[in-house]
Amino acid sequence: MKIFTKEELSYFNGENGKPSYIAFEGKVYDVTKSFLWMGGKHQALHRAGEDLTDALKDAPHGSEFIKRFPMVGVLKD
Amino acid sequence: MAKVTREMVERSGVNVDKLVELLVKNAAAELTTFYYYTILRVNLIGLQGEGLKEIAETARIEDRNHFEALVPRIYELGGSLPNSMKEFHDMSACPPANLPDSPNDVEGILKILVEAERCAVRGYTQICNMTAGKDHRTYDLALSILHEEIEHESWFSEFLGEGPSGHFLRRGETSPFVSKFLR
Repeated sequence: MKIFTKEELSYFNGENGKPSYIAFEGKVYDVTKSFLWMGGKHQALHRAGEDLTDALKDAPHGSEFIKRFPMVGVLKD
Repeated sequence: MAKVTREMVERSGVNVDKLVELLVKNAAAELTTFYYYTILRVNLIGLQGEGLKEIAETARIEDRNHFEALVPRIYELGGSLPNSMKEFHDMSACPPANLPDSPNDVEGILKILVEAERCAVRGYTQICNMTAGKDHRTYDLALSILHEEIEHESWFSEFLGEGPSGHFLRRGETSPFVSKFLR
């Protein structure tokens, strides 16, 4: 399982054709193929390449929407 | 743009650019849903499908009304719609409500309808949360749309056997909550 630093995760921001990865509760998920993450942006409020653990607390959905995506690694503290 | 309107919203602490982007994305979801629901409704046929046609049509027309109601607020706040219809489609706040592989799969169509409504309920809940007590006009609009989206969800959910909606079909005109923004 690949281990990502926050800096490494930030590369996967979905811009210029790069994959879109997000972190949640220490795990890194690949959301590249999601319609709702096109271009690495989600609902105008969130960007790929970031740890969204805190952001999910204010989201109008639960973690099941993140956990359905392929897990590609873990986020180093 | 309504200059003081935007200023008031900015002063309340709302990020107006992000709010406008969200409104545009939800307007895209409404108009594309109107389009996809046209195809879904057309394919609601036969003994099972015919009974769903009326609520699918009501939801379709009300989603178009939501688009119409959102557009003036987007421009009031200094936003705009993209020139390209394709760009507009692809920025939608909700995924395309495509017809299932088997067009005769009524339950499959119902699941697509209910998921589309649930996406809308989440989206307008988010906008209400962002604007409550801050941007009164957008809040009022988003809440009015939310009322109708929740009813759509409950209609389709009832047909999926998830429990009673608790209310009946529309009596009279469509968009009982949003119509005040359509005058």
